[in-house]
Amino acid sequence: MKASLVFGSQRQLTTIAVVAGICGAYASLLVMLSDVLATNSDASGFGAILAVVAMVFIGVALYVSSVVIVNCVDTVLTGMMTRIALLRLLGASATALRSAVTRRTTAVAAAGSLAGVAVGTVAASVLRITMVEHGALRRMGYPVVSIWLVAPFLAVVLTTFAAGRVGARGVLRVPPAAGMLGAATGHVVTTTPPVRARLSTAVIGTGAAVLLVSAWIGEDGGTALGLLVAFFGAAALGSGLLYGARLVIPAVVAGLGRLLGDSAPSRIARRNAVTNPLRTTRSTMGLVIGVTLVTTFASGADALRRSVDSWTTSEANRRDALSVLTTMTTILVVVIVFSAVIAAVGFVSTMSLTVIERTREIGVLRALGFTGTQVRQMIVREAMALACSAIAFGIALGLLLGSVGAQSIVGSHNHGFVWGRPWLVLGTIVVAAAALVMIASLAPARRAIRVSPVEALRTA
Amino acid sequence: MARGLPVPSVDGMTQTNPPVLSIRAATKTYGTATAQVTALDSVSVDIDAGRFTAIMGPSGSGKTTLMNLAAGLDDPTSGEVWLDQHPLHSLTDEERTVLRRTHVGFVFQAYNLVPTLTAYENVVLPFDLAGRRLSSEDRAWVDRLMTELGLEGRRDHRPSELSGGQQQRVAIARALSSRPRIVIADEPTGNLDTRSSREVLDLLRSAVDDYGQAIAMVSHDPVAASYADRILLIADGRIVGDHERCTPEEIATLLIGLEVGAA
Repeated sequence: MKASLVFGSQRQLTTIAVVAGICGAYASLLVMLSDVLATNSDASGFGAILAVVAMVFIGVALYVSSVVIVNCVDTVLTGMMTRIALLRLLGASATALRSAVTRRTTAVAAAGSLAGVAVGTVAASVLRITMVEHGALRRMGYPVVSIWLVAPFLAVVLTTFAAGRVGARGVLRVPPAAGMLGAATGHVVTTTPPVRARLSTAVIGTGAAVLLVSAWIGEDGGTALGLLVAFFGAAALGSGLLYGARLVIPAVVAGLGRLLGDSAPSRIARRNAVTNPLRTTRSTMGLVIGVTLVTTFASGADALRRSVDSWTTSEANRRDALSVLTTMTTILVVVIVFSAVIAAVGFVSTMSLTVIERTREIGVLRALGFTGTQVRQMIVREAMALACSAIAFGIALGLLLGSVGAQSIVGSHNHGFVWGRPWLVLGTIVVAAAALVMIASLAPARRAIRVSPVEALRTA
Repeated sequence: MARGLPVPSVDGMTQTNPPVLSIRAATKTYGTATAQVTALDSVSVDIDAGRFTAIMGPSGSGKTTLMNLAAGLDDPTSGEVWLDQHPLHSLTDEERTVLRRTHVGFVFQAYNLVPTLTAYENVVLPFDLAGRRLSSEDRAWVDRLMTELGLEGRRDHRPSELSGGQQQRVAIARALSSRPRIVIADEPTGNLDTRSSREVLDLLRSAVDDYGQAIAMVSHDPVAASYADRILLIADGRIVGDHERCTPEEIATLLIGLEVGAA
């Protein structure tokens, strides 16, 4: 089956190419830089440690990318249910359709990933040459490419293949008869099995308990052990939240969405934001992960800095400690912020696709007396409800994890619990959030205002 | 919003009871000069207040275009459309939207309820859109509508939890809730079974008889049109017949006459 029969235009798949591209560039940049640093270092074990650290970060970026791609494929296909139903009506089998979708998404991702790897490799070279020029690296023979670049390329392609298959699952549920109705049938109601709720609650609870233990160890004077325990606690808490995300995130969005007020545009925006809990989760989960990680590092470092500040030690020692902390934090934050960028790209794409899906509904609202301004408000507020909830949740979680992490290391040297308050990073996140809401709602709002009620209602 | 001058009536007589809707020499064409389609060809007609008017005609005759112009959803290429003495043809999109909100109620073939709102929230949507709080009088009116339309037990249900007939009753309640000057119904029974169709038509009929509601209904079902006080026949973008209340059989004969006449 030709994939072009399923997808209307290539444009709908741009997001997948962009996400695969960013992910490929990011992964290859990390691979090359850790290669360069390992070559530069004399210690033999250093390269292996760097490789492991790079793999963790690449893993996070791949995970976020896969969530974005699953959501993108799912959203594009939901908007094309009529067309898919028509193909089913004319005799296309569901599995053939699904594999056509998967093949196309994988091909698009492969192209994007290849371009990304090329860009990342060049960027790594540029960075290396600059660092050598500035004397930050020794002048010696460094590798320009690495056999390991194949790994990020393959990882991105495999991830999109899997994500495409999961995202295209909806195709299997389209009844051929829907092709005759000429309209997408009602929303697919996704029920969450109670097992998921119970299991995720248990894991979250365990994680929280372990975090408490780590704080206690820190207070008791343990350093390396405390951090290790805190790491496992945070990992358990994070995994529990990821596993139960489709329960947690829609609840957070619905709750914080109430702050928008109760005018008609706000109410509809708020409800639209959580109509499809699974989609709500997927479109914001990446943001939550990215913001949480950035805030965790920033707040952990800030809590450590505040602790160091309060200690009675020599000025030189203090300056050394602070300088190491600042460098480490900056590198970590810069490295992890890419995942947030990938998530943001996905968010923008989901927003615009869901608005296209609701063309008819917007037409009805216009017919009933929604002004252009009210339509715009409705879309901006939906983007706000989603993005701001995700970011607020991420910040809260990150502040908690970072501060507990710091407590687990240096708790015994402090009076009470020190909260990390990285104002600069928090301020930047808030500004970025505002920009994200604006970018994500600008194009969809413009398109929505142009919806002519007559056109929208004619496509019955 | 500025009220215009009194509209001259079609027959040149001054009217004591002004029509809710006056269309004067309205023409609507689509497409470019080379492939032009005339959907409406210089149509002049008045729709009376407090009456049930059915607009009938074959597919593509221009009846939906006429209704879109009447509701201010679309602009005439030339001619005038006066809604409750407001000149729709010369208002901006924003002004027309506000006028539509206060003066027109809609019932569509595909119900078109907002899926994320409950039945009650859909019914009071016109108030919400206007940013208006419901007065106690409004509230009593909405409650009465909900009761009379048999929706009391369905207030908090989402559209997806209602049958087609129930959804259309919610749509009718929504159309009546703001007491519009005119309700425009486009094939309101097109998606319904016979029993639900009859219920919906009875409800529209009693809105006219009990509250003096003006209704203009587009349909090509002779049974639906037989509930109306007046039947306008439209073909090829022109009004070709204007009849007082008829039986379904008489209407069917009129329609067949149209088809045969065209052949």
